Amino acid sequence: MRLGAVEGDLILEAKARVEADGRVVVSGNVRCRGDVAFDGPLECQALRVEDGEATISGDLLVHGEIAGPDGTIQVQGSLTAKTVDVDRRLRVHGAARAEEFEVGGSLEGDSTLEADRVEVGGRFKLAGKLTARQVETGGWLDVGEVDLESLEVGGSAEVRGGTVRASIEVGGRFRSTAPLTFGSLEVGGFAELAPGSKGRGVEVGGKFSSGGGLTFERLEVGGIGSIDGDGAGEAVEVGGKFDVRGALRLRGKVEVGGAISVGEELEGADLEVGGRLTAKRAVFSGTADIGGAVTTREGLKARRIRLERRSHAFGPLVGGEVEIGSRARVEDVYGDSVWLGDRSEARRVFGVTVRLGDDVTAEEVVYSGSVEIGHDAHVRAPPRKVERLDPFPL
Amino acid sequence: MAVGDPRNRSSSRRREATDLYATVLEVVKRYHGGARITRVSYGVGMPVDRLRNLLERLLALGLLRSEELDGRPVYDITPRGQEFLDTYWKMRAYVEILGPAGPRGRSHA
Repeated sequence: MRLGAVEGDLILEAKARVEADGRVVVSGNVRCRGDVAFDGPLECQALRVEDGEATISGDLLVHGEIAGPDGTIQVQGSLTAKTVDVDRRLRVHGAARAEEFEVGGSLEGDSTLEADRVEVGGRFKLAGKLTARQVETGGWLDVGEVDLESLEVGGSAEVRGGTVRASIEVGGRFRSTAPLTFGSLEVGGFAELAPGSKGRGVEVGGKFSSGGGLTFERLEVGGIGSIDGDGAGEAVEVGGKFDVRGALRLRGKVEVGGAISVGEELEGADLEVGGRLTAKRAVFSGTADIGGAVTTREGLKARRIRLERRSHAFGPLVGGEVEIGSRARVEDVYGDSVWLGDRSEARRVFGVTVRLGDDVTAEEVVYSGSVEIGHDAHVRAPPRKVERLDPFPL
Repeated sequence: MAVGDPRNRSSSRRREATDLYATVLEVVKRYHGGARITRVSYGVGMPVDRLRNLLERLLALGLLRSEELDGRPVYDITPRGQEFLDTYWKMRAYVEILGPAGPRGRSHA
């Protein structure tokens, strides 16, 4: 049939084909029962596609709701509606715009999509920019640049950079192929960010990687994480394993239960290591508590350094106050006040005041104030008092 | 990684029942307590009759709950279900990082 303007509602049964006389304009609602095709643009108040597929070979303008109970809708041009609720599949070749998109199966677009809320049960693929307040998908999402308030994905998601102002929550895999600015990123599985990304909070249970430098506020890695560049932020907590190729500069605390490796300098306020820390050099303005092992090439410096019993430090330790627990093993130690606990081992010790516990082993002790030596402490050369100590490293 | 995700790097891995349960839970979760079985079936890409068995199993395990809405059952994820998902994704990541095990396996760590 050939139609132009229709007064009232239009009801089409299965296999109907509407040839457009320019543009089909229906003053009421359009209801399709089964597969229906429009060979041109369509404008109506509401569109309902039941148990079939509607194809619109042109633009689709619906002033109210598009509903598709057990339905599929394909639009060759652009789509504009107030709300869209389709059970099976929605495919739009042109730009799509509505307050809400709710699709049970898959939503596909070759251009852009603008909405307040987008909810997809299965798959969401969009070639162009996605602009929305809230986007949720249960399956996977593959979209262009994003401008969102929040993004929640159950399966996997890939975006081509942009902004997510509030939160990104991903159960499975998240990847941004271009710089992304975000509020918080919470990943249960895998997350991969492009160089130049920045966000406030990052929490990774599985695996996280940044292809270049990353700026953040708080970073928590329970699984495995890496930054292939410099990292800068407030605080880091590592329960698993975390590698930074460049420098890591923090304003706050570093807590390591697992293992952290920093290729260049690590800076922060305080350090707490139960696991293993490796860095070219580590400098902290506050305290460094080490229960596990610290390895630095140039040294670890802090206002107060405390190694718990049986812990290890490789590389110089430089502090105001340095306290080495019993049976701990260290190399060179520099401090205003240095205390080596019973049965601990050190290479060289330089301090204003030095106290060696029982059975301590050291190769050399140099002090400018006082020295106190416990029972059976073994210092290869007798402790040497100097007028003034050489400047400490770092 | 959802069922059918073509970019799933470990797609050669045989899909376990746990993968299907996780996919179902992720889709149900998106509906915030209003997940109808037909919607979930489109989201998961699985016929309703097969999905019904999975839903019953998830209900029995306390990972899902259901209630009647307009005379039809709707599903929602429980805190235990969310706990399952958190553990599942974390474990999937570790399994992929560690690679295959055994005498002929290779480590990718």
